[in-house]
Amino acid sequence: MMANGKLESLRRQKAEISLGGGQKRIDKQHESGKLTARERLASFFDEGTFVEIDVFVSHRSSNFDMPSVHAPGDGVVSGYGNVDGRLVFAYAQDFTVLGGSLGEYHAEKIVKAQKMAMKMGVPLVGMNDSGGARIQEGVNALSGYGKIFYNNTIASGVIPQISVIMGPCAGGAVYSPAITDFIFMVDGTSQMFITGPQVIKAVTGEDVSAEKLGGAMTHNSVSGVAHFIGKDDRDTIALVKELLSYMPSNNLEIAPPKPTADDTNRIIPELNDIIPDNPNKGYDVYKVIEAIADDGRYFDVARHYAKNIVTCFIRLAGSTVGVIANQPKVAAGCLDINASDKAARFVRRCDAFNIPLLNIVDVPGFLHGVGQETGGIIRHGAKLLYAYCEATVPKVTMILRKAYGGAYIAMCNKELGADLVFAWPSAQIAVMGADGAANIVFRKDIKDAEDPIAKRAEKVSEYEEKFNNPYRAAEMGYVEDVIEPAQSRQRLISAFDMLESKRESLPAKKHGNIPL
Amino acid sequence: MNKKYNITVNGTAYAVEVEEVGGAPVVTSAAPAPAPVAPAAPAAPAPAAAPSGTASAGASVVEAPMPGTVLDIKVSPGQAVGAGDTLLILEAMKMENEIVAPQAGTVDAVLTAKGAQVNAGDGLVSLK
Repeated sequence: MMANGKLESLRRQKAEISLGGGQKRIDKQHESGKLTARERLASFFDEGTFVEIDVFVSHRSSNFDMPSVHAPGDGVVSGYGNVDGRLVFAYAQDFTVLGGSLGEYHAEKIVKAQKMAMKMGVPLVGMNDSGGARIQEGVNALSGYGKIFYNNTIASGVIPQISVIMGPCAGGAVYSPAITDFIFMVDGTSQMFITGPQVIKAVTGEDVSAEKLGGAMTHNSVSGVAHFIGKDDRDTIALVKELLSYMPSNNLEIAPPKPTADDTNRIIPELNDIIPDNPNKGYDVYKVIEAIADDGRYFDVARHYAKNIVTCFIRLAGSTVGVIANQPKVAAGCLDINASDKAARFVRRCDAFNIPLLNIVDVPGFLHGVGQETGGIIRHGAKLLYAYCEATVPKVTMILRKAYGGAYIAMCNKELGADLVFAWPSAQIAVMGADGAANIVFRKDIKDAEDPIAKRAEKVSEYEEKFNNPYRAAEMGYVEDVIEPAQSRQRLISAFDMLESKRESLPAKKHGNIPL
Repeated sequence: MNKKYNITVNGTAYAVEVEEVGGAPVVTSAAPAPAPVAPAAPAAPAPAAAPSGTASAGASVVEAPMPGTVLDIKVSPGQAVGAGDTLLILEAMKMENEIVAPQAGTVDAVLTAKGAQVNAGDGLVSLK
């Protein structure tokens, strides 16, 4: 029996720490629709598996009134536990303790979790809810941010890093999430910005609400900073767990397979009719993805941003596959600046974590226009080409309809390293559409003809017959096979099965120089 | 933007500035002035059709996602629309793109016209 009430003292201290900033502040957190740091971690980890570390850590600042300030856990709860049975590290900033502000030891706790996650080779999830740097700790707080950013960068491409914004995340603090692989935001209660509405009002005179400036939907649909939006804390945490199920624990593993009852040889007759007769009409590429995927399930990444390209995870015969698909229903499915950025980032995430790529192509080209050219579509489009070339994971390209010009290459054609290219019979693989091409190739014929309009129509259909099909490309070996759309699932599963043992390495180098 | 034209009428040269304002063409005269209005008019490119309205305050404007030609307008002011309903067809990149309502509401005004050329960011339809 331990003497002198030592057990009682331990229990009392732990009970006190577990209350964070106290019941009053916990109630306030609940009133604003938010869970506390500990409640968030409890809802994230499998029941009873969370183990807290650095429980007793507190600040050591002697500035101003800090010596008398009690800060349980220094405003952050960190530790590890299981998510669907797999080890994951996580930290959650505790808004009830000094507004979750980041001081020296708050940062040290995060850094320790980062280093341990890297050593163990497991994902790190950061739940952000913080007023920013703890001003009383001055430059020590900034040093803390710097360490976190550095470790985020070193861990990038080694372990999946996920940021969940569940309250304010302002100023320098935004750059830790920005460096990580995925950002989730909670609708209505989270904001991210470098400078808040008051400062903007004072400096530039612009009047803007915090929600409009840096709310969840702004960053999901306009800025592209965030990739997921959840209805509330619990919904968002459930999304994080779903994402983790598609990811391996680190860059040396593959994502855990999920057994399925969905037949690998399932024939999908409706795909034979999905392409509209009129080549100028759009259709919903999500229907193709759903039809092909195990159990019709896909997990969309950046669903509200650059909707003309779809980036999502699916499973084929139980294994994770990253899908990049042009969406003909939105902005003609063209590649523009934002679509290129979104897709390039997704390709690199998949490549870093050994997730094979499926490219579903129906692209009329890079978007025309002064805005795109002066906005740097050349530079941004180059990221997509670069990312595809650099990716060494299995790459399978399936061309549904239009595959024109530079965009055909940019969507990972044979030369960019596609291991297998399939085309549907509706595919049109050409330098450009028949109209434009006929005008150039047959300019003289058309001009000299007695009836230029009739001649033009004749030449357009001649060009169409000759080039607007997959067979010329297939004859050259640029397309491995022309397949019946209904057999797509079967053929793709067989392709990825064959490619499972693919090993390819790039020349030794410090790192490439992607045109950022 | 003002466009300058030199126009000769019955042997007299006139320098004419033409301002394009998007609606009905407005013609302003310059030296040696007063320039006759009639001869200048053909020089001003007439818009395909005048937009039928302007957005009222507080209405949210659905903008063109890319440069193109308005092929067809499917709604008229006062009409109730649901989220995802097609507002108009914009031909761009040789594709007929359905421009849909981002949220449910009532059509406040149609800001463009059939056959009009629009740029990315131009207002198409405003919703209340």
